[in-house]
Amino acid sequence: MRRAGLALVTLVVVVALGAPWLAPNPPDRSFAQSLYAPPTIVHVFDGGPRAPFIYQQRLVSRLERRFEADVSRPVALRWFTGGRLVSVADDEGPLLLLGADALGRDIFARLLYGARASLTLAVVATFAAIAIGALIGGIAGYAGGLIDETLSRLTEFVLVLPTMYVALALRAALPLVLPPGTVFVMLAAIFALLGWPIVARGVRAIVASERERDYVAAGHALGAGPWRMLVRHLLPSTIGYVAVQATLLLPAFILAEATLSYVGLGFPDTVPTWGTMLQDAANVSLIGNAPWMLAPAAAIFIVVLGVNLAVQGRGRAPVQLEL
Amino acid sequence: MLRLWPAEAPTSPPVRRGGQIVASIRAEPRSFNRFVSRDQSTELLTMLTQGRLVRINRATFELEPWLAESWESSADGRTHTLHLRPGVTWSDGAPFTSADVLFSLQAVFDPKTQSVVADTLRIGGQPITAKAPDAQTVVLTYAVPSGPGVRLLDNLPILPKHKLEGALAAGAFASAWNNTTPPSEIVGTGPFVLREYQAGQRVVLDRNPRYWRRAPDGGVLPYLDRIVLAIVPEQNAELLRLQAGELDLTSSELRPEDYVPVRDAEEQGRLRMIELGVGTDADAFWFCLKPEAKARDPRFAFVQRPEFRQAISHAIDREAFVNTAYLGAAVPVWGPVTPGNVQWFWSDVPRYLHDDTKARAMLYDIGLEDRNQNGILDNPSLVEARFTVLTQRGISWYERGTAVLREELAKIGIAVDIVPLEFGALIQRLLACDYDAMYYRPVVTDLDPAGNLDFWLSSGSAHFWNIGQRTPATDWERRIDTLMLEMAASLDPERRRQQFNLVQQIFAENLPVLYFAAPRLYYAHSTRLRGVVPSVQRPPVLWNADSLSVTN
Amino acid sequence: MTAYFARRLLFALVLVLVVSSAALLLTRLAPGDVTAQLGPFAAPEEVASARARLDLDRSPLAQWVLWLARAGRFDFGDSFLYNRPVRELVARAAGNTAILAVVALAAATALGIPLGIVSGSRSGPAASLIRAASLVCVSMPPLLTSLLFVFVAATTRWLPAGGMTSVEALDGRWSTWLADVALHLPLPALALALPIAATFERLQAQSIAEALQQPFVTAAAARGVPPREIVVRHAWSVSLGPICGVYGIAIGTLLSGSFVVEFVAAWPGLGRLTYEALRARDIYLVAGCAATGGLMLAVGMMIGDLLLAAADPRVRERPAG
Repeated sequence: MRRAGLALVTLVVVVALGAPWLAPNPPDRSFAQSLYAPPTIVHVFDGGPRAPFIYQQRLVSRLERRFEADVSRPVALRWFTGGRLVSVADDEGPLLLLGADALGRDIFARLLYGARASLTLAVVATFAAIAIGALIGGIAGYAGGLIDETLSRLTEFVLVLPTMYVALALRAALPLVLPPGTVFVMLAAIFALLGWPIVARGVRAIVASERERDYVAAGHALGAGPWRMLVRHLLPSTIGYVAVQATLLLPAFILAEATLSYVGLGFPDTVPTWGTMLQDAANVSLIGNAPWMLAPAAAIFIVVLGVNLAVQGRGRAPVQLEL
Repeated sequence: MLRLWPAEAPTSPPVRRGGQIVASIRAEPRSFNRFVSRDQSTELLTMLTQGRLVRINRATFELEPWLAESWESSADGRTHTLHLRPGVTWSDGAPFTSADVLFSLQAVFDPKTQSVVADTLRIGGQPITAKAPDAQTVVLTYAVPSGPGVRLLDNLPILPKHKLEGALAAGAFASAWNNTTPPSEIVGTGPFVLREYQAGQRVVLDRNPRYWRRAPDGGVLPYLDRIVLAIVPEQNAELLRLQAGELDLTSSELRPEDYVPVRDAEEQGRLRMIELGVGTDADAFWFCLKPEAKARDPRFAFVQRPEFRQAISHAIDREAFVNTAYLGAAVPVWGPVTPGNVQWFWSDVPRYLHDDTKARAMLYDIGLEDRNQNGILDNPSLVEARFTVLTQRGISWYERGTAVLREELAKIGIAVDIVPLEFGALIQRLLACDYDAMYYRPVVTDLDPAGNLDFWLSSGSAHFWNIGQRTPATDWERRIDTLMLEMAASLDPERRRQQFNLVQQIFAENLPVLYFAAPRLYYAHSTRLRGVVPSVQRPPVLWNADSLSVTN
Repeated sequence: MTAYFARRLLFALVLVLVVSSAALLLTRLAPGDVTAQLGPFAAPEEVASARARLDLDRSPLAQWVLWLARAGRFDFGDSFLYNRPVRELVARAAGNTAILAVVALAAATALGIPLGIVSGSRSGPAASLIRAASLVCVSMPPLLTSLLFVFVAATTRWLPAGGMTSVEALDGRWSTWLADVALHLPLPALALALPIAATFERLQAQSIAEALQQPFVTAAAARGVPPREIVVRHAWSVSLGPICGVYGIAIGTLLSGSFVVEFVAAWPGLGRLTYEALRARDIYLVAGCAATGGLMLAVGMMIGDLLLAAADPRVRERPAG
């Protein structure tokens, strides 16, 4: 189970890293003749088995979204050409493995590039949340007294807030249209701001109990300063706990991005992320004719499932309630 | 298959009376008082519950007698004597008289009302004055002659004096008939009366048993017993409910991408799709041309040259535009008046054929060439022809339209960055002239150009490339001002047409705003609906609510 | 005990106050305001009078103080977007969200707890199947489940694909209305409930497995008490503690999840209203929604605390915190 989970997660990471090589088309290139085109079917059988090939799709009616395969001329796929794993020549394509969206962009390519954006954001936000959480939890647990009381109350307060609403309110308060880089930093900051209390609570408990142990007293006796004690000795003892928390935060952040972008408060539509791609799925009657537009939902499922499987292998079912 | 109106057999079976239909509206009505609120839901409700003196038929654009049965106009076009239809009563039984007309005019021009319809009724900047020699006659006097004449009165719903006179006297007319007023207070002369309003859910209208209009067979109208307006804030949900049979009518036309699912539903016999025709509004692309705001912008020196904008017009392949932005469901246009506006469209308006070489040559002539070989044109002091184009976000054809714009302009060396904005932010930037260029579809409120003086006149509030000028910034704007004022005051239809064609010519030569395509509009309704007379103006079907009926 | 709940109550009050004030100030300080809804060519006087009506012409601090003073008298201002009192709008939306949340929680409990007892106390194909299903569900957050369900409903037409009531139920008695709502409920409620049910199943399974290891259970088994009775009578009651504890946390999850579900399935609840208010910067509506959300959260947490106290006597003696 655990191995399967790790394999899934690794697969997604590899796909994200290899996106420029794996995607047959650039993610932002729009094929004007292929708006809403269905997936290009790769054939391997033509009277007898042969190397994979496609038929070029000719546009018949844009409004009716009708395309006709040009069966007179099979187009062989090119492998390892032009820095891409698989592609077709410009005048013979396009090769759209998961069809095209409203602007004629390759959904498959966007899915791969989307993995980069969505995963990077989630990883950055997770690290930020852990850093803040460990620091606040560590200080609270180590200092005790009034500091502990104040920080614990704060942690508790942020913890009970429904994350989605707070993220929504914070995002909506900022200018709605911003450059993608700014959006990235901003979303990571918002997520970290919401994710840290979960980490802080556990870290505080561990640090508070570790503090009572002999080696801490010994360290003090040897003249180690409080910061040094905290950072060098106490926080490292929480690594196991923090690692588990990270695996819970990561899928939650992937989802938060997807939700915010889905409702139009995340990345601008020009940036391929799983959330911005899901916006197309909002038009449900369209999806009936084009179920492949749900591909980003499947991608999210795979990542979350992978993480859950990987964590389950540790013998404890994670309790994942936030988001 | 697509059925074009008229599809029904000429000898239609007897119309069934009774039954209800469910239509959707996108938003809550902000008020039940059309004088103070211009939102679409208020307008629709007013259309259903109130009458006006004359009606413009939304399908033929002909003027029809309505609460006024007939009228005479004086030779100078300033005085109109209207004879009110006898026997009309308000939905509460009170008689409808000339006093109600006088009251409505008084209310609409009362400064405390701050009426949103007053401007459309001011002629030469002056209110209409009215006298009532008797209970059935109204004499209206315009300050100056008016070309549209009596047609203007289509903008004025006649409100009941006996219900609202107190509010007007107390200076509270603006807040009277707001959406917390009990429905029974809201009386009208329209085919339906308000029965119930549930905030966030629906507005229910029952047939007005005292409605004055009769069917061709002499029977009473309306045919329907009830219209329910369900509030569905979002177009995807609206379409889904239409397909599920929960709605008979939606508030808006189909988007190009909805064509396929609706056609499928039609083939299964669940919906009927109709083509409304070419829309009266076209997508507009314009640069901010306000010299005060742009004086320090080095690009303004070439942006303000008509040749620059003419070159852009040459550079846009309108066919590609139609195909990509609208999936082919549009027609190319070269001016603000589209073929959908049959009365005022001028087919000889100057056109700019797609020709990149010519476009480049024209830009070269005004000193723009790619001096530093980076693919973008520069002026002699190396200022790049690069612009930010603002548009409204979340609308698929704007997205596709701006994408085409960017591609086509890149071919002649003009770089464009697209920034989709939230509606509110877009408007703020528009009013402050805080933008390079904009791509948006402004809605034409009146098909008669004399009703859109706010767009045509340089002092107008909807003259959006340079709003509210004290004196015309350019010579051609001054000429358009003169022509439009003459045209608005002119009584001879042929002369008005010539004057307006000249305005269109001047406009197309100077291109303050570029137009590329006007959509062909499709609409879908349930198969049980009868008596549909589609209009390219909103509401596409409900304008004719008194003659709609349903099969079982 | 009393002191504990007094502190909880104070916490709730602070929560509502802080959350709604923060929402108000955040909306006020954000660029742009709600008067943009008047359209592109609204007259400046119209915009100015609208701004004055909403106190947008005062300083943010003054506006906050005025709002707070009115809120103390239960007057939460008017929504500009809907042109009616915030209180009315929010009460209706919160009611709809509560219906959805309560039904979803009940469904999650009804699904998760029994299945958890089975999968935690047994091994074999049934338990493996439950574990697998629960794994899938826990990996399908409400965003995905609701999209999937709406898609299925729209293509199969088994259930209404969105909304809360259909128009036909308008004139009927309240029983017709109830039946109509009941028809619209399964889709969003299930979309919201499934991931929570899966979490409940996992917790219950884990906790019952632990309880079965307890000495008194082993002793009962040695006395010859049948296994089914051991699980139901002895182990389950011990395993209840952790489950009750999670209800308090589940409220936050429900609220967050219901936002997405309401959005996708067009349920006219607090989530949708909040979203629209935020988008349009309808300041008093934003504040009202935030206050209501905070209140629902606080109430939910207190119910969770009560449950916990009922199940676990130790909590009652524990000092607050």
